[in-house]
Amino acid sequence: MTLLTTRGLDRRFGGVHAVRGVDLDVSPGEVVGLFGPNGAGKTTLFNLIAGSFRPDSGQVLLQGKDITGLPAWRRARLGIGRTFQVTRPFRDLTTIENLLTGVPRKGSTRSHDADLARTLLAKVGLAERADELAGRLTLGMLKRLEVARVLAIDPTLLLLDEPLAGLTSREATEILDLIVSLKAGIGIVMVEHNVRQSLPVCDRAVVMDAGKIISSGTPEQVRTDPKVVQAYFGEKDD
Amino acid sequence: MAASKPAFLANMLAPVVVAAIAALLPRFGASSYVQILVYYTAFYLALGQAWNLMSGMTGYVSFAHGALAGIGSYATVMAINAGWPLAAGILAGPIVALLASLIIGATSLRLRGTSFTFTTLFFQALALLIVRKLPATGGPGGLTLEEILPIWLPQLLMIALACAATLVVLFVRNSRNGVRLLAIKGDETAALSLGIASARLKLVIFCASAAIAGAAGAIHGLFTASLYPDVVFSVDISLIALAVPLIGGVATVFGPVLGALFFVGMTELLAVYLPSLHIVAIGVALLIVILFMPGGLLPFIASCLRLRGERPAVVKEVGP
Repeated sequence: MTLLTTRGLDRRFGGVHAVRGVDLDVSPGEVVGLFGPNGAGKTTLFNLIAGSFRPDSGQVLLQGKDITGLPAWRRARLGIGRTFQVTRPFRDLTTIENLLTGVPRKGSTRSHDADLARTLLAKVGLAERADELAGRLTLGMLKRLEVARVLAIDPTLLLLDEPLAGLTSREATEILDLIVSLKAGIGIVMVEHNVRQSLPVCDRAVVMDAGKIISSGTPEQVRTDPKVVQAYFGEKDD
Repeated sequence: MAASKPAFLANMLAPVVVAAIAALLPRFGASSYVQILVYYTAFYLALGQAWNLMSGMTGYVSFAHGALAGIGSYATVMAINAGWPLAAGILAGPIVALLASLIIGATSLRLRGTSFTFTTLFFQALALLIVRKLPATGGPGGLTLEEILPIWLPQLLMIALACAATLVVLFVRNSRNGVRLLAIKGDETAALSLGIASARLKLVIFCASAAIAGAAGAIHGLFTASLYPDVVFSVDISLIALAVPLIGGVATVFGPVLGALFFVGMTELLAVYLPSLHIVAIGVALLIVILFMPGGLLPFIASCLRLRGERPAVVKEVGP
């Protein structure tokens, strides 16, 4: 069964038509790269899927269930986890407390959750920083903390908003390796401007421009699609 | 979440021991002046912890805690005057304050930042207006408690309440929901994205906080035995509820204890040495604490002594 389905998602902000009739399908175990120039509507689409915004029209279905009217926290409890373009850690909490904020998994105990949080921190290379205030971490660490924090809610669908932004090449590679290691059983949608580094880890690429999906397919198909070239580089002069 | 098990047990024991010593002071021959100071320290501590529980933990700054305490005072005095048993009359205070907080919370907790703060300030003014107009509350002339109670009773009850309120903050601060409240304070949008039902959680903690403020008001009603609306619903009480944790350390368990001691001690000293200027001096002293120790006295002292445990929690007046 398809994990996430959006049908005809539409959202306006005053005179700006940010998302226009977007249809998107994501399957379990799939990494979908969502690309497009600035203002294409990628983050708005994320916000519509995660429940931060309500669509003007259209539907969001998670495993076939209509979740269009549900608030963000209910969607998170159903398994939609997200990270943010600009990291949003809880700076006055320790790194491990950041992971313990989320909804506990069914039947889990306090000590089990603490063990799980430490395991996740180890997975993202932050085990040594467990008791440090999140506000003292570097940007690269904060990006990894956000991924660990969202994994703590046991997501079935992971929305990653520019996970590589502001990272060094080595840190970006580490995050991408982490994303690939996570994809078994869950669907991942990743918005990213670093196309060169992120495209190889995608099973499928979707390109948006002016609120619409203009291209979708394998990374190779999308890379050579003339509509994508035009959206990024404009019309050829000759 | 913040403390280990032995540290948590020690933290739990400390307020009980201090409260027991405070309660036994008359037996050690403490003067009635000292007992009154202890009473006011306990009253301000209970109010401060009530504010700390809601506003300190969530970052939603309330100016309604004075009004909630006032509602508790009126409910208790009216119930006892109506012939209710003493225990039931005292319980009426926190229950009515809790019901009032449901109304304020349901209407204002969806607002963030200063919008919420102004709504609570509006509620404070509205409560005074209503109490001044209602014949049942005695109008502008207020009410008098018709039953004469021994003075030690409200003194003991207030010490017990301050201790209980400190323990409530300790338990909440060390719980998963405490961490979630601090997450709401840090970034509510991020908290929602992790499945935290912030509206529900804020309402529950606001009700708990209101019940403590209402209980403090109920006991204070027994202590003063006379309620004048302009005094009971004065915004000063809300400011004290806010100042105590702000001075001592917002979102810390023991910061408000230090804040209440500092506030009462300073007020008394300045009233003696600067009788005509003591209110101004208190304001200046508060400004100094807020400007130079933004986390409050306790985190400042802890950082000077390089202690862990009581971590500074930066005050955030507005939501994200």
